[in-house]
Amino acid sequence: MKKLLSTLTLAAAMVVGGPVLADDYPTKSIDMIVPFSAGGGNDTFVRALQPLLEKQLGEDLVIRNIPGGGGAVGMSRAVASKADGYTLLAASNAMLTLEAMGNVPFKHTDFDFIAKVIEEPYVIAVGGDSQYANLEDLVNAATSGTTIKVGVSGVGSSAHIAAVAMANRTGAEFNIIPYPGGSEAISAAMGGHVDAVVLGGAELRSALQSGRLKALAMSYAERSDSLPDVPTFQEQGYDLTLTVWRGIAAPKGLPADVEKRWVEAIKQIVADGSYEETAKNLGTQVSPLYGDELDAFIDQSADVMREAAGDLAK
Amino acid sequence: MISGYLDGLGMVLQLGTLLAIAGGTLLGIIMGALPGLTSAMAIALLLPVTFGMPPVMGIGMLLGALCGAGASGSIPAILLNIPGTPSSVATTFDGFPMAQKGEAGRALGLAIVASFFGGVASMVILSLLAPPIAEFALRFGAAEYFSLSIFGLVIIASVAGKSLLKGLIAGLIGFFASTIGTDPITGVGRFTFDQLSLLTGINLLPALIGLFAVSQVLKDAFEYDPHQRLEESTHRIDIARPRFLETLRHWKAVVAGILSGSIVGPIPGAGGSIASLVAYDQTRRFSKSPEKFGTGHAPGIVSVESANNALLGGALIPTLALGIPGEAATAVLLGGLMIQGITPGPLLFDDQSGTVYGIFLAYLVANVFMLLIMCLGIKLFIRVLMVPRKQLLSAILVFCFIGVYGVDGDVFNLYLMLGFGVLGYFLNRYDFGTAPVILGLILGPIAESNLRRGLQAFQGDWTPFFTRPISLTFLVIAVGLLALTLWQNYRGNRRTESNASS
Amino acid sequence: MERDIGKPVFDLLLLIASAAAFAGAMALPDIEIVGDLSPAFFPKLISAMIFLFAIPCLVKDVREWRAAAPSDGSQPANRRGVMQWLWIVGLTVVYILLFEPLGYIPSTTVFAFCCVIGLLFASGAWRELNASQRVKSLVGAVIFAIVLAVAIYYVFTNLFEIPLPD
Repeated sequence: MKKLLSTLTLAAAMVVGGPVLADDYPTKSIDMIVPFSAGGGNDTFVRALQPLLEKQLGEDLVIRNIPGGGGAVGMSRAVASKADGYTLLAASNAMLTLEAMGNVPFKHTDFDFIAKVIEEPYVIAVGGDSQYANLEDLVNAATSGTTIKVGVSGVGSSAHIAAVAMANRTGAEFNIIPYPGGSEAISAAMGGHVDAVVLGGAELRSALQSGRLKALAMSYAERSDSLPDVPTFQEQGYDLTLTVWRGIAAPKGLPADVEKRWVEAIKQIVADGSYEETAKNLGTQVSPLYGDELDAFIDQSADVMREAAGDLAK
Repeated sequence: MISGYLDGLGMVLQLGTLLAIAGGTLLGIIMGALPGLTSAMAIALLLPVTFGMPPVMGIGMLLGALCGAGASGSIPAILLNIPGTPSSVATTFDGFPMAQKGEAGRALGLAIVASFFGGVASMVILSLLAPPIAEFALRFGAAEYFSLSIFGLVIIASVAGKSLLKGLIAGLIGFFASTIGTDPITGVGRFTFDQLSLLTGINLLPALIGLFAVSQVLKDAFEYDPHQRLEESTHRIDIARPRFLETLRHWKAVVAGILSGSIVGPIPGAGGSIASLVAYDQTRRFSKSPEKFGTGHAPGIVSVESANNALLGGALIPTLALGIPGEAATAVLLGGLMIQGITPGPLLFDDQSGTVYGIFLAYLVANVFMLLIMCLGIKLFIRVLMVPRKQLLSAILVFCFIGVYGVDGDVFNLYLMLGFGVLGYFLNRYDFGTAPVILGLILGPIAESNLRRGLQAFQGDWTPFFTRPISLTFLVIAVGLLALTLWQNYRGNRRTESNASS
Repeated sequence: MERDIGKPVFDLLLLIASAAAFAGAMALPDIEIVGDLSPAFFPKLISAMIFLFAIPCLVKDVREWRAAAPSDGSQPANRRGVMQWLWIVGLTVVYILLFEPLGYIPSTTVFAFCCVIGLLFASGAWRELNASQRVKSLVGAVIFAIVLAVAIYYVFTNLFEIPLPD
């Protein structure tokens, strides 16, 4: 379809099949499970990567949106599929959140992680004309008896956990109000129905750019290029580091040569800079990680999430 | 602004851009006409194709898909009583009866033209009034959403069949079904029976396809008579043509559709599914002959279909002006905009580069292509009804399977679809109706979660629901309409009783 | 008026189902969040309302059923309808069961074929056909089923990228 249409529209340059390497893998189209519905951060991340990957791998990448259970349905489907490299998962910290909350039948160790591709921080933001000019104001208000209503996307979502972690680390008591999704939470904050929102930086990007919302702090260890003016929690004296990451995973037991093929493809895409601009437009940044480093990163993130989820249970 | 439009026109009037828009529209029409496939899927499918294109070309292609799918949902609704999306549920109310009278071509002709009017009007509203309407949508907090959903639930009275009480029960069944799944406020699982597939609750699509398509297939199977031969079918192809004048004669219904599509459509998360039902409800209420609705009455089709495409423009308002997508299709579209480097927000409308005007014009062009393609196809669509019953029944079921399975590849949803099909069959047979179930299923979660979210935000205080102006307005209108319905119902009963006794 | 025992029976089933739903809602855990109604509030409220509203329906439908004359000679058509109805429902269940294990093309072919031929049998039309008509129907159904399954498979998987089980 894609090829057909692009020829039709005289825009074939971008999508024509790239050089096909004489390699065993892949020999047929590859299913990429996105455990969320179309249009979410996970989905857009993969769809933006899709033509580049297809060019590198020389085969079609078929994106399957399997939403449900906050990602649980799609992930359990991925876990249960064959580890032959023809069913992969668009992974993110939602997996670790689900694991930490403890009501899914799989763990992150049931997956082989191929690559982390992009990441973004969690951001706490208030309305553009809010009385709270900085994090300190907000925390002071919250600790001196004002109820601060904080919108998040989805009960038990990673943003929810991040908000709880922020409350605990800053000592502020938040009245956390879950919305069905990020856009509902953002519109509630814009309309002044909540005092603040905690969401991933990408979702907040256009709201922050237009000045409708104002970021008070973000959860990286250091300031980021995508939000240069937003201070970190660390520099404001709170020990809190969390990242939203997105990447590619496969069910456990992925053949080494398949993993190598994928890592090469992604490395190539990162190296030639073809994804850089897109990632930036989406409010994320390319920060690739592979192999052992990646595994260590995932394990460590899982620990952080487990700890934060413990906070939620309190 | 004029120069902006001229720049925009320059971007749209290029062979490549026009072809892209036409291609997007065609794909949208095809996918919208197949039950279960949605405009969100069409846009997601096209998204990677648009990456290499200039912004207006890429976004125009996606808008074409949105526009095409919005209009073509009427085709299965009219011909087979199968609404492919919640917004074409109301098309079945009068479209299918008209088709059963042998006037499917007329129904389609009305629907196409009404869609076109709705789409064009909403483009004008979008380009002129987007920022203020977006500001209005922002004033919707929990209290307002709750009151809106109560207002919406009153529509049940309009779509209930013979018995108001039974229609109400059907609505409550849908409402109850909507509570299944993870509780949106506390995260507790409700009636999930340890089914992973039920964690996020009952999916709307299998319910919709089950309640309408499968129940209709079961009804047809029950009534199937091998001796009824095809040549008896009275469908006339010659009346299948776009009906501009007839649609214009029902201009009040067109206006009602455009207004509710443009006012209710922009409200994120709620508008898309109910705008067309609101349009139907209002047109019927203020009609001089409300009793004709549901029997194949032209204004019923016209109001719903104009609302259906007007609400797309409405849904684009918060997407473009605030970066807040109301539902799945605009969420995917937003991804497309951001990948193109177009940041939605108020600034977009001040942008002098002409891109935003190019987008408006592209949407206008998409509506024109939609009209052209649908007009060319109309005689073809009717031929669906020439397929022999046995084959048609099995083909419909096969398409239902693809639609439901294609969404998330979950076999559980197929069982759900069949369950709703059987339930829907009996609900129709015993005068409960299936449309109220869908209303309950859509509005139930909005009512429940916003009431509870509001109470949580107001610390248990109920009064804001009645003191906030927008919220109060909706509640007053809802109570008023309900009282009116009960009164009409009471009088209607009195009349039939006195007729019976005399 | 036709006498249909199904109407009051359906009302009765609604009563039972709503009572069961209410019982299920009672068992939901109570989680206190300041100001929030409990997760069980709406399920309880709705099931109670369905129960209350179903009572007058049942009373009315039982009355109507009693008042209506016992049904007359329309029985054979009705039985044929029930057979056809059950055939489609049963076949759909089998189709769902086979959908993933057998793959899309085989399961759809079998389903479409059985659907067409089954309706011929269930409706009694089969008995009225002569041998050559029977062969023609069978061959027609086979061709229809295969074309439907294969064409749809390729259009949807290749053109629309909708994954179907293989």
